[in-house]
Amino acid sequence: MRVFTDSRIEKAERELLAADKPRISVGLATCGISVGGDRVFEEFKRLIEEKGYDVSLKKTGCIGFCKEEPLVNVKLPGKAILVLHRVTPEDVPEILQKVESGDDSFNKVLFQIDVWDHKTVPPISYGQPYEGIKRWQEIDFFKYQEKLVLRNAGIIDPESIEEYLAVGGYRALAKALNMSPEEVIEEVKISGLRGRGGAGFPTGLKWEFTRKEKSDKKYVICNADEGDPGAYMNRNEMESDPHSLIEGMIIGAYAVGADEGIIYVRAEYPLAVERLQRAVEEAREWGFLGKNILGSDFSFDIKIVKGAGAFVCGEETALIASIEGRIGRPRPRPPFPAQRGLWGKPTNINNVETWMNIPLIILKGGEWFKQFGSESNSGTKVFSLVGKVNNVGLVEVELGTPLSRIVFDIGKGAPGGKKIKAVQTGGPSGGCIPEWLFDTPVDYVNLAKLGSIMGSGGIVVMDEDTCMVDTARYFLDFTVDESCGKCVPCREGLKRMLDILDDITKGRGKKEDISLLKELASTVKVTSLCGLGQTAPNPVITTLKYFEDEYIEHVVRKRCPAKVCVELIEYEIDEEACTGCGMCARRCPVSAITGEIGKSFSIDKDKCIKCGTCLDVCKFNAVKKVSRGLEDG
Amino acid sequence: MGRRVKVTIDGKVFSAEEGESLLAVALRNGIDIPHLCYEECLEPYGSCRLCIVEVVEGFKKGITTSCTLGCVDGLKVLTNTPEIEKHRKVLFELYLAQAPNSEKLKKLAEKFGVYSTRFKEKNLKNDPLNGKCVMCGLCVRVCNDVLGVGAINFIGRGYRATVNVPYFEESDVCKGCKACVEVCPVDAIDYSDVGDKRVMISWSNTKVDLIKCSVCGRYFSPLPVFGSVSKKLSEYGVVCDVCPDCRKRLIAKNMTSSGGYNSYA
Ligand SMILES: Cc1cc2nc3c(=O)[nH]c(=O)nc-3n(C[C@H](O)[C@H](O)[C@H](O)COP(=O)(O)O)c2cc1C
Ligand code: FES
Repeated sequence: MRVFTDSRIEKAERELLAADKPRISVGLATCGISVGGDRVFEEFKRLIEEKGYDVSLKKTGCIGFCKEEPLVNVKLPGKAILVLHRVTPEDVPEILQKVESGDDSFNKVLFQIDVWDHKTVPPISYGQPYEGIKRWQEIDFFKYQEKLVLRNAGIIDPESIEEYLAVGGYRALAKALNMSPEEVIEEVKISGLRGRGGAGFPTGLKWEFTRKEKSDKKYVICNADEGDPGAYMNRNEMESDPHSLIEGMIIGAYAVGADEGIIYVRAEYPLAVERLQRAVEEAREWGFLGKNILGSDFSFDIKIVKGAGAFVCGEETALIASIEGRIGRPRPRPPFPAQRGLWGKPTNINNVETWMNIPLIILKGGEWFKQFGSESNSGTKVFSLVGKVNNVGLVEVELGTPLSRIVFDIGKGAPGGKKIKAVQTGGPSGGCIPEWLFDTPVDYVNLAKLGSIMGSGGIVVMDEDTCMVDTARYFLDFTVDESCGKCVPCREGLKRMLDILDDITKGRGKKEDISLLKELASTVKVTSLCGLGQTAPNPVITTLKYFEDEYIEHVVRKRCPAKVCVELIEYEIDEEACTGCGMCARRCPVSAITGEIGKSFSIDKDKCIKCGTCLDVCKFNAVKKVSRGLEDG
Repeated sequence: MGRRVKVTIDGKVFSAEEGESLLAVALRNGIDIPHLCYEECLEPYGSCRLCIVEVVEGFKKGITTSCTLGCVDGLKVLTNTPEIEKHRKVLFELYLAQAPNSEKLKKLAEKFGVYSTRFKEKNLKNDPLNGKCVMCGLCVRVCNDVLGVGAINFIGRGYRATVNVPYFEESDVCKGCKACVEVCPVDAIDYSDVGDKRVMISWSNTKVDLIKCSVCGRYFSPLPVFGSVSKKLSEYGVVCDVCPDCRKRLIAKNMTSSGGYNSYA
């Protein structure tokens, strides 16, 4: 087809490969921008214009190594891509000078990319590798990753459809349009792809339901509401490679027989909205959206709708209500959206990441896709690895990868050599999995067995300083606020659970509270109307299952073993260690510390508000946090 | 009428229309399943969760709400397993803590063996519904979905959610029809007719004019309701500014005097 041999694509390809002139691309997803990537970009732009350097400056998305941002890709003609990390505007002049003079001895080089497999084309050789610099796949952070969804993230310019086309974009669409819708669905079924929005429902099956509904009008929706605190994979995916999502949706629309698509994005994601908007317009210009796509008799277009800002609006029936302008409350299913969705019409709704897998599956085949992942959990999942872990970032691993690989091999354990205690997977309503179960393969089935969920793919790492009761309380505090209030177990039940946890963490817990908590958690889980209430008790249920001893310590001995719960701890000054410098006394906001300079100081426990300032300012480790509890106290 | 199917509830076989709510079938046949948010004239809503049953044979096995459960041939459910009783008890306890002032709720709970709650009573300061509302949403749905008036709706989220008129300001939309009062399963909504006004006390004291019977002089119907009804009826030459009692009397009188119907029908 002619569009794939357009001269604009060839130009983009030349630029990507830096055939003629050097190329610098700055990682400008929200994660990069938040640590100053935009200032780095502006500085490059200013200097290039001022000095008239012959360099092409581009934006790119995020390659996932958020901890090392701002990241800058520097590519000299014929050479591999060098990825520089933690670049500041002050580094820019030197980088440019070196680029201009062909000097490749850059500072701050993190790794190089000589060959990259975009999957939609044969692996691209970006240029001659440098000696003595690690290849990206030799870095532990990347070594165990498999980039299917993030196949283009951090390499191509997300604001250029030409670059997406240059790495094989929209070829899957062309292929799909030469297949029958049933054949497309069959391929997705073979792939075994499950929905990445949380519940893991088989995508092909869902498409088939929508296909089989008879209706004059059908919709496809992309769920980009991503409301889990700490989760940002969908944001990153949209910001880094919006066209993969759009291509997936077009193929899906063709398969189910829809002519209208909606991307429902959180309003808190302005950059994703902007890039998607631009991508949709570009796709329209190129004839991938609109009437008679690529000369076929299939017509389809996409609208972007900004979300109403509630976590529960990520639930599909609430999301649909929200698009229709109604209050974002879930309704019972059936009827499923496939039967009665947006404006009462059959609607196929999938998560961002689900859609982004589709072009690969169509282009390379379901069987090919199945080689990744584990039995009945094919493919990969992007996780946001956050919390008490050294390598914070987005990691894409095959389903079935053990938790230990993600936390220890990729994440490199907890900062400060602390012991890791547990992880929480699946967002605020996922369960906490203790360290002794870290050899569990991460997939839909195994997480469920442990009482947790895949959710949208958040992994929060907790170290030995984490109180599990407080953790459960923290997550519940979130879900209580986000409950829509429609059904009683979620509306009242979660609040009562929170009340009980509040009591326990404040030392007011009673023994029967633990059994009441268990009973209530079970009822909320079993009888709630939607997924929010059905999963919100998970943090409580799993911490009670794996860390009940901590609950008992709080309730019986009024002790917080991790020394987190403010009401159950005290600050003390170790006389031996105290040098009498008086720093703590000076900084104490309530003048609770007294003593003599040169001798030692002590804390008046009645006055102390337990703010922890003394602990932070003491240079001699003389201030101690203790949780003595009843027996010793 | 849809296809007839056979469903089994607690071992007894009943005939039902395909797709109809299992709760409706149960209630029709004298099987008592507690429910607060179900009303025949409305789409099943599934918010009170009291009507849970256990599906032992059907589309999806396990515990689910019977009001939203569509009848299919061969569907088998149990309404009183120990598991259901356990969850139902907790749900009732949550309700008792949420709406401690509702006598009707208490009676319903007692009927199903729940006499007290282990949970702290909800903080009811400033509650316009006086600790009686169970948030079943029937009033909201009748006002919006059946009558198309839309005077009241849910306000807020989660446990802070409540039902009222927008901004808790007297509504100029409410017609004072009292359908909300009638449909409320726990008598939570207060109103009072004072002179020529109906005051919807629970709806931030929204006031609606009442119309006077042209015969006896009693105030009997909210003006906005009367307005739309009388307009329709006057097309048929029916006079309506007469209260139901007087109208009955008038009809009787006319029938005996003229031996037939007249315009007071
Ligand atoms: C409280 C709640 C929040 C949800 N939030 C999201 C979300 O942010 N993004 C998402 O894709 N799915 C979310 N879901 C899941 C959706 O209801 C739905 O299952 C999903 O969009 C289907 O897409 P999939 O089959 O591709 O996973 C949420 C579900 C619940 C119950
Ligand atoms: S009657 Fe079924 S949930 Fe209320």
